[in-house]
Amino acid sequence: MKKNYVIIFVFLFTFLSCEKDDICVETTTPNLIIKFYDNDDQTVVKQITGLTVWAEAKDNIYVNKSLDSISIPLNLNENFTKYIIESNTLKDTVKFIYNRNNIFVSRSCGYKIIFENLQIESNTTNWIKSISINNSTIDNEKAAHISIFH
Amino acid sequence: MKKQHIFLYFISIFFTISVNSQEKLDTITTKESYGIRIGLDISKPITSFLDNNTNGYEFVGDIRVFKNYYAAVELGFTNKTTIEDYLNFTTKGSYFKAGFNYNAYKNWKGMNNEIYIGLRYGLSFFNQTLNSYTPHVKGTYFIPNTLDPNTEFNDLTAQWVEIVFGMKVETFKNLYLGVNVSFNNMLSTKEPENFKNLYVPGFNRVFLNNAGVGFNYTLSYLIPIFKKDKK
Repeated sequence: MKKNYVIIFVFLFTFLSCEKDDICVETTTPNLIIKFYDNDDQTVVKQITGLTVWAEAKDNIYVNKSLDSISIPLNLNENFTKYIIESNTLKDTVKFIYNRNNIFVSRSCGYKIIFENLQIESNTTNWIKSISINNSTIDNEKAAHISIFH
Repeated sequence: MKKQHIFLYFISIFFTISVNSQEKLDTITTKESYGIRIGLDISKPITSFLDNNTNGYEFVGDIRVFKNYYAAVELGFTNKTTIEDYLNFTTKGSYFKAGFNYNAYKNWKGMNNEIYIGLRYGLSFFNQTLNSYTPHVKGTYFIPNTLDPNTEFNDLTAQWVEIVFGMKVETFKNLYLGVNVSFNNMLSTKEPENFKNLYVPGFNRVFLNNAGVGFNYTLSYLIPIFKKDKK
């Protein structure tokens, strides 16, 4: 009987020790989420047609889509990212400015970056009527951080 | 050489037969040595030699306090660099473990071997240096640069308990070879700010649930202090 306990103990510890933490499964660096609203009635979500999105000097993220919200990554090596958002060939440039804060996550994920003090600078108004910041800290992707009215 | 082994084999057979046949009649008491046994873990210098990222040594010692009970200590130092996918850090520090072993092995007369189970309390003082890391992000639209902060986290501590399984064999007079495995469970740690103790000297890799495993292979020498009749 005593021997059985020993065996049980060994197995228990072995299995506990083998818990996997080599693969990154946690949520890490969040994207910026933008939601589009109607400028006339600012509570109504309004789709954008012919939507194409890219960061300055980068490839397209969205091409000719019809969407009411987008999720875009921010530059991790700079304190700003310039995006061009195009709707039916009308281009608007939006510059996002932020502070980066590195937060430890886990062994397998290492660090993530969260973005703080988000500000918007130098946006053109070809189709965008106005922009409002809902949350100046981007640390999750649960809700839209920015609303664009058009 | 081979002949000598065969010869020894036969001698040992005769020896066991003679011992067994005389067991009931034998009234001669044998003496058992009590003393301090000290040694070192010879697996650590070998791993230090083979693995450039690991450096360490460990001294072990135990003393027989009662028939099958031994008080045991381990003292060591580790300097190890761990490389993960998004992290690279160096852990440097010393540790101390104390506890006891219970020998469950019934020795024949004149033999001093052990198969034991033991308990330890472990304590470590160490520093961590975060050499470099790459922030983790899904996708490849913006690729983050690897940062080299070389941040030092000093005066960290950890306390844990271990269950130890092992054996010791007397190879020559008073010279022992030993091997053991330990299953560790963290009690408390002083964690660095915005980082984690992913490796602790003496405890080794800290798994998600604060568990760990250890291993050592020791060579030790018994300094006999007094002899006692075996009953």
